[in-house]
Amino acid sequence: MNSAAIATQGLTRRFGALTAVDDVNLRVAPGQFFGFLGPNGAGKSTTIKMLTGLLAPTAGRIEILGLDLAANSLEVKRQIGVVPEGMALFGRLTGAEYLNFAGRMYGLDREIAANRAAELLDFMQLADQPKKLVTDYSHGMQKKLALAAAVIHGPKILFLDEPFEGVDAIASGTLKVMLQSMIARGATIFLTSHVLEIVERLCSHLAIIHRGRLVAQGSLEELRAGVEAQAAAALPDDGVHAPAVPGEKLTLEEIFLRIVGGARPVDQELSWLS
Amino acid sequence: MAELTVAPGVREQLAAVARVRWQLFVNSLRTLRGRMELVSHIFITLGFAAGGIGGLAASCGAAYYVVSRGKAEWLAIILWPIFFFWQLFPVVATAFTENFDTSNLLRFPLSYSSFALIRIVYGSLEPATMLSSLWLLGVASGVAMASPPLFPWAAIALLLVAAVNILLARMIFSWVERWLAQRRTREILGVFFLLFIISFQLIGPLMSRYGRSAHPDLRQFADRVLPIQRLLPPGTAASAIASAADGDYAIAAGTLGILGIYGAAIFWFLDLRLRAQFHGENLSEAPALAESSGQRGIVRAGWSFPGIPGSVAAIFEKEMRYLSRSGPMLFTLIMPVFILFIFRLTPSTSHRGSGSFLGGSSDLAFPIGAAYALLILTNMVYNNFGSEGAGVQMYFTAPVLIRSAILAKNLAHSTILALEMVLVWIGASLIYKPSALGTTLATLSGILFALPVNLTVGNLLSISSPKKIDYGTFGRQRASNTTVFASFGVQIVVVGLAAVTLMAGRSFDRVWLATIVFLVFAAVAWVVYSVVLKSIEHMAFGHREELIAELTRAS
Repeated sequence: MNSAAIATQGLTRRFGALTAVDDVNLRVAPGQFFGFLGPNGAGKSTTIKMLTGLLAPTAGRIEILGLDLAANSLEVKRQIGVVPEGMALFGRLTGAEYLNFAGRMYGLDREIAANRAAELLDFMQLADQPKKLVTDYSHGMQKKLALAAAVIHGPKILFLDEPFEGVDAIASGTLKVMLQSMIARGATIFLTSHVLEIVERLCSHLAIIHRGRLVAQGSLEELRAGVEAQAAAALPDDGVHAPAVPGEKLTLEEIFLRIVGGARPVDQELSWLS
Repeated sequence: MAELTVAPGVREQLAAVARVRWQLFVNSLRTLRGRMELVSHIFITLGFAAGGIGGLAASCGAAYYVVSRGKAEWLAIILWPIFFFWQLFPVVATAFTENFDTSNLLRFPLSYSSFALIRIVYGSLEPATMLSSLWLLGVASGVAMASPPLFPWAAIALLLVAAVNILLARMIFSWVERWLAQRRTREILGVFFLLFIISFQLIGPLMSRYGRSAHPDLRQFADRVLPIQRLLPPGTAASAIASAADGDYAIAAGTLGILGIYGAAIFWFLDLRLRAQFHGENLSEAPALAESSGQRGIVRAGWSFPGIPGSVAAIFEKEMRYLSRSGPMLFTLIMPVFILFIFRLTPSTSHRGSGSFLGGSSDLAFPIGAAYALLILTNMVYNNFGSEGAGVQMYFTAPVLIRSAILAKNLAHSTILALEMVLVWIGASLIYKPSALGTTLATLSGILFALPVNLTVGNLLSISSPKKIDYGTFGRQRASNTTVFASFGVQIVVVGLAAVTLMAGRSFDRVWLATIVFLVFAAVAWVVYSVVLKSIEHMAFGHREELIAELTRAS
């Protein structure tokens, strides 16, 4: 598993009888903007939780920057930044206090933490109301603050669980600029998202998980080629599997729907809404 | 478009809320933790039931005694303690009290009357109301046994007393919550508290001035206080029953009317708060804080302490900031001094005392205040991740050991306890007299022993039985039932052991012996604390999923 930023081998997580993540073998190269996709309940969040130390795997191995996560968890955590599901914010601190706190939790000197906190608040356009408590921030502001806290120590890998969920276009633009500048500096980003247009624009490489199993992995072009080859080899059985218009590239949404089995046409109406 | 739903009635909505609470309870039993909660809840309920039934028998006997001797007005002596218990218990014993959060009901088509009723009814499902209601039932039974014709009057009067108490408790909670939520009103309350402490200096001379001239006889004390207390709800109720006993039915009915007016007036004040809540009031400090912007670009460096790692100092700072922004928690911290004040005003039944509870043993004021201070830290010490919410995930994603985070929290709670000790010592000195050096040292060494015991058990329970709490809302800082039950057991053992040791030292006039015993206990307790702290990392990682799931769940 050498020279990968993130690598897993046989990663499995069971919750009683349910296998949420089943024998997943991921490989993310350094510097990649990696999108991890899947339908609701496919195992995305469970996987990202295991990769960031929030959840113990039932079986399998995780290597981050060549280090075994189980054996070197502190060393790994020093080099990663995380925006988990729920954002890990402390509601009754101000934005500045929270960033200061995050910086010091990652081992920054208190002066450096304060300077970076000020810079990040400014960059994220959160500096206008320095005494506002995090709990009173809007959802978009909280997302920006969570991302700021995740990058304050300059991580080599950034794990983001649904960073664009519930974020407006302005906040989303700020987040994208921040993420792209991190990629430009050589960092690796691993994100899960349901906003496929954004993933398509940002991510160079993708993996798709479905019912706990990794069903596709590669660059967007590789995934597209695979799906087109499959479509050419098999006859379509419904509208979703219809071949793309000749000459037009399949969008990520189309690729995703074909890989995970497509959408069920909604032909049924709810009795009390008709 | 489909037809609109018919507006549901109050009864259906109350039933729906009851059904939801029942389903939540049933679903909670799916996990081991939920089942342990149930077992703890049963034990706590049994404890309260014993108190309730014992109190019911006592109040029944006392009511029978006074009414059968033609002294129905003396029912006030029974009703006043019930009144004080009803109003004070939820505030002084927050570990047993939890308010039902109805704010998320507002999204449903709930009429104001349904909302108010749900707030009042479900808000009253707490131990103080249950126990006090049982005791009132005891009073009613005693009256009925002593004088059956008086029962209808007693029943109406006691029902009105119950209504007044329920409404008053809700009103106090909702207004205190309102005042504590904002910095400005908190500061005003702080000034009042300061004046209150200063006024202690006047209490001593006043008590000795009037205490000496008064006869210690309970009858004479009652004669002096009766005219004043008759004007207040418990006294009014007793007067109404006494008037009915004397055959003055018109006066009895008029007095009951006064009690009704009390209820209506209290409901009016409560109604103001409930209407504000119904219209989606936000008690956040955001508007006040947002006004004071203007420091853009400047972020002050965090706290640092010599020899303390940056991450530990950062968590310590965070804990202190959380506490300083929690009006309810700050309010709880002044309760030990308040309790001493109540003791000072409570008449002693002892003839050798100086007229007040603890009067003959005023040297014990500091130990008692210190023990209570330790007790009220339960909510923090035994559930030390409870207020983190989703932030708890950072302890598992950041490069820090969980034991460092726990150590920082223990340091913060120890600092708060130290400040409490100073406050209690000053309060005890002003209300009673400065504790003797021997008693002070014995108390401090007793705390030095009790603290690590509480921290050790608290750390283990914080990880194994966490519960999400809201520092910003009055009455919603209660730990899980398992934690409350276990912590109560620990407190009984520790405080009991300390009390026996201290009393033994005092009875032999060798308080210093208690100090030595406590220091030996403390040494052992600190060793156990450090051993457990060192091994807690493994346990924390074993419980991380439950911990994160509980603290990140929606309220």
